[in-house]
Amino acid sequence: MKELKKCFVILAFALVSMVMAVSCHEPVPEPEPEPVVLKDYNFDLFVCAVKHGGMSKNKNGTYVRSVSALTADQPRVEFTGKGIDITEDYTLESITRGKYYYQVPQKATGGFVKFHIERDAAGEERIVEDAEVPFKDNVYSARKYTHAWIGDSTTLVIVGTAAKTTKIIWSKLAESNMAVQSEGTFDISLPEGFGAFSTSGLLTYRKSDGKLYYFYLTKPAAGLSDAATSVTHIAVIDPATMKVESDTAVPASVMEETAGSAYGELMQNMIMQDEAGNLYVAGMITVNDQEMGILRRIPVGSKTFDPSWNGFPNPEGKLLTVQYLGDGKALSYSRDESLGTKIDSKSHFYSIINLTDGSRSRVKYNGTDLQYCGGRFSQRSVVVNGKAYIGVGGEVEGEAEATYPTIYIYDCKTGAVEKGVELSKGFCFDIIRAMETE
Amino acid sequence: MRFRFICLLGLSLLGYIVPLWGQDSLAVRGTLGDTLQLSNATVTAKSREQRLREGAFAVGALNIRLQASTLQSLTQAIDRTAGIRIREEGGVGSEFDLSINGMSGNSIRYFLDGMPLDAKGTGMTLANLPVNIIDRVEIYKGVIPASFGSDALGGAVNIITSSRARNYLDFSYGIGSFHTHKADFNAQYTGKKTGLVFKPVLSANYSKNDYLMRDVKVRNEDRTAFVIKDLPRFHDDYLSLFGQLEAGVQDRSWTDAFFVSASVSKIDKDVQTGATQDHVIGMAERHTLSYNVAARYEKADFLTEGMRLHASVSQTWDHSQTIDTTYRRYYWDGSYIDGGYSEIRRRGKTLRHYQRPMTVARTNLSYRIAEGHDLALNYLLNRAGNKQTDTWDKDFEPTDDVLAKHIISLSYDQSLLSGRLNNAFFIKDFVNHLKIGQNEMPSTTGADKVKGSDTQNYVGYGAGSRYLLFEELAVKGSYEHSIRLPISRELLGNGSTIYANVALKPEISENFNLGLFGTFDLGGGHTISYETNGFVRLVDNYIRATVMETESMMQYVNVDAVHIKGVDGEIRYDWAGRLHIAANASYDDSRDMRKYTQSGDLSVTYRNRTPNRPWAYANTEVSYTFSNVVLTGSRLRLTADYQWVHWFYLTWEAFGSASTKSKVPTQHLTNASLLYSWHEGRYNVSLECTNLLDALAFDNYRLQKPGRALFLKFRLFL
Repeated sequence: MKELKKCFVILAFALVSMVMAVSCHEPVPEPEPEPVVLKDYNFDLFVCAVKHGGMSKNKNGTYVRSVSALTADQPRVEFTGKGIDITEDYTLESITRGKYYYQVPQKATGGFVKFHIERDAAGEERIVEDAEVPFKDNVYSARKYTHAWIGDSTTLVIVGTAAKTTKIIWSKLAESNMAVQSEGTFDISLPEGFGAFSTSGLLTYRKSDGKLYYFYLTKPAAGLSDAATSVTHIAVIDPATMKVESDTAVPASVMEETAGSAYGELMQNMIMQDEAGNLYVAGMITVNDQEMGILRRIPVGSKTFDPSWNGFPNPEGKLLTVQYLGDGKALSYSRDESLGTKIDSKSHFYSIINLTDGSRSRVKYNGTDLQYCGGRFSQRSVVVNGKAYIGVGGEVEGEAEATYPTIYIYDCKTGAVEKGVELSKGFCFDIIRAMETE
Repeated sequence: MRFRFICLLGLSLLGYIVPLWGQDSLAVRGTLGDTLQLSNATVTAKSREQRLREGAFAVGALNIRLQASTLQSLTQAIDRTAGIRIREEGGVGSEFDLSINGMSGNSIRYFLDGMPLDAKGTGMTLANLPVNIIDRVEIYKGVIPASFGSDALGGAVNIITSSRARNYLDFSYGIGSFHTHKADFNAQYTGKKTGLVFKPVLSANYSKNDYLMRDVKVRNEDRTAFVIKDLPRFHDDYLSLFGQLEAGVQDRSWTDAFFVSASVSKIDKDVQTGATQDHVIGMAERHTLSYNVAARYEKADFLTEGMRLHASVSQTWDHSQTIDTTYRRYYWDGSYIDGGYSEIRRRGKTLRHYQRPMTVARTNLSYRIAEGHDLALNYLLNRAGNKQTDTWDKDFEPTDDVLAKHIISLSYDQSLLSGRLNNAFFIKDFVNHLKIGQNEMPSTTGADKVKGSDTQNYVGYGAGSRYLLFEELAVKGSYEHSIRLPISRELLGNGSTIYANVALKPEISENFNLGLFGTFDLGGGHTISYETNGFVRLVDNYIRATVMETESMMQYVNVDAVHIKGVDGEIRYDWAGRLHIAANASYDDSRDMRKYTQSGDLSVTYRNRTPNRPWAYANTEVSYTFSNVVLTGSRLRLTADYQWVHWFYLTWEAFGSASTKSKVPTQHLTNASLLYSWHEGRYNVSLECTNLLDALAFDNYRLQKPGRALFLKFRLFL
């Protein structure tokens, strides 16, 4: 009996030791999600009339077409009498996953909505709402929030600000029915001398360490400010408890502001992760009194930026969006400040960044750079199944010269570029989204 | 007296509407050339309204005095006029937008006896002006006579108050659905010894506006899902008070009329929704308090024979407050969540004060060169300040803007061929001075583009002509190169639901009208009259209201060019003043003519129909008057009218499939009323039912109008 008791104690000790050893060990990095692979998918194309609609008040209408392919053999995508007019009900900016859109809708009914776009037998698109739930205790405004997926994408985390952007609030929603599971306020307060947080900040989930990363700004006052007066912070959050585990101010020399901070990644992609679990964030920094783009990296295992690494050296201007292409390459959308800084200035262009050495080159078709585009706030590119679909606005001054907006298809492996489908001209081409059909 | 009564009865409602009641002098306002026919005691003459319609300009004219006993507000009557459309946001005291021949409400200027209506305070509008004091309304379509000294682009509404020779007392009280109460009092007393004339006016309107909102989304009991319910509005109280005392003298050697007046108006209004009803508000309020002092002077044969002077001066102190100090997100059942944004502006809390002093001076000097040849010189000064402070938001920087307009106009009127041909020519010079101090949200309000002060000069001109071929057929045409300077509401916002846009440019338009009109006297008391008007408006820098859905705010913006073409027409039938049938219809086609966007790209909306505006609508009205019902000398008038407005798209019609587009649906509204008057109109009781069939009606996108409503009104006229 005594022997048996001794054996039991030894066994228990061994078991506890093993559990402790496992729990104290650095987490083994889980492989990052594969590049987006969808079995059956459509492309949803968003255009606006008269002015680009992204990140601003839409005054002229937003229209969506859902098409099955973007290759050159497809008929030109028309919007006259076709597509969905979403202007009054939904925002151009949205969270998407699989076949669904998730958002705080334009119609301001006081809650969250989940919907998808389907086509009827005649090929006419329509929106079908799958769920709509009221806010619980935390209230969000349309467009002004950021998000991340956790729990194998069964839970959607929404983060926004309240009380004149002096409090940062969060809500967890069930993906299936948008039910509010839990809510709260981050234990983050404004430092002395600062009056407001950024409107939404940027939230992302890094699977390699199982943490939420929240990038936010502290600003002298609510509203617009220049980068030089803002301070970027990185808060690392436990997604289970939503407790802030660390909150680090980023030195101005590393990054003054993230590329966007008011509307999350509801439209533009500014954060990406590579296969190893490195986290990349597009931002800006002041150089010679001009705000210029910068691409920083939080290496796997670290919780802050590596100040020695910059994936966007010698910028021509602001870096606006980045999307990971695989194999250490990324697609960037940036601006040449010398060609104009207005939203509609024809100064925006696409490049391929080599993340291993920081070099980059303009995306070319038949040896010629893709043309400059208007649309500071747009996301006309999507990466799916090893291809990047890149939309180029066809806006050229004068009716006679006006060309059609065109999709170019970049093969992520070979780097080959082919011309794709055209869109009817005259619209401001703002977004391409790849959406599962089932 | 008996003869007079019969005559007037015979005259009435032939389109020659003359006042029947409450008038101690018989003034058959015929003109030379008019027919005066005595047959079966029938007198044929033309009312002031009919003569105005037959002038050189395109004009709609309404006799309000006759309807005052039943009307709840002036907007009701004006909305039934050909070519006019009023879009209301809700119930009593709600914002409204008036359009004339397709031109938006703010292209329209409003006058009270020739002076800008807002001189009575920014809260005083067609909707709350006491109807009992009004004699008639003149609606100028597109081309506006120089005598108004106005910069209106689409037209003008001139409200003429009653002018009676004898002392009187006029009191009315009405009670209606949705806890609506209205009381009006006005009187005139002339001192026997001093000859001093006193005219007091008091008016009060109150409504809870708690009409039922149908099919609105609210949270279920455990607040985890939405359910659809019909619920009453719960935060839409409206109170308006107006008081005025006018005193002066008439018919003296040194003046035909000299009056001074002082008035005060107070408006308290709860804010229930944003620009759409999905944005529910439960705490925010607006308050306006205005004081006005004014003087007017009239003299015929001023300085020399044939010269006439009208001079007016007015000073207004206007203070409004918008209280938006709650971080709450309301639902239609009155429940709320403590949210992170203020209710109206969806930003921080504000308690915004607007002080908008206004100075108006108007001088009209006319001279008759010879019979049928008149020359007139007009000058109008309109200076409006806009001082904004905030007693809650410490970050708000106070602003002090000034908008001053000087308008000088010269006109020449001809009457030739024994009055068969009338011509009018005019030229106007506009000087606009703007001093901008506000810099809140500069990228939205344009404050970063317009800094400091700015003065601009513009010239407008026009002409009108009318030729009377026969009594049954006359033709008239008019043209104006018109300028419309943005009003303060468009430039500077309203402090709650409208953002400022200080970079707005003036609208410039070429306005053309061509009309036909005539009257057929069929004998036996049967008369048919008609008028039709075709119009073209070629507008540059068209000012259009846009809804910013995300924030439920509005803002006025310039659209480079808009062309509006259309036609309206009205036909009226009358039988011996008993049966009156009128029908009118209006159609206009407004197209966006900007070819390129600001960045130089081809605009996809080029030649598209301008969205979010009604373009086809019609009205019919039938009334029958019985005499001597129960009481001798009494009248019973039964009236029914029907309004139809064709549906219209909220956004550009060409884009997106029709089934997915947001529309403002077709409206079919039927109203009915009865009026019983006795003792020669001294006592009047009316019962009106608006929206008789309880139709779900919208003038604006997702802003429900009230359902069926009853209104009972008693009026005493001594």
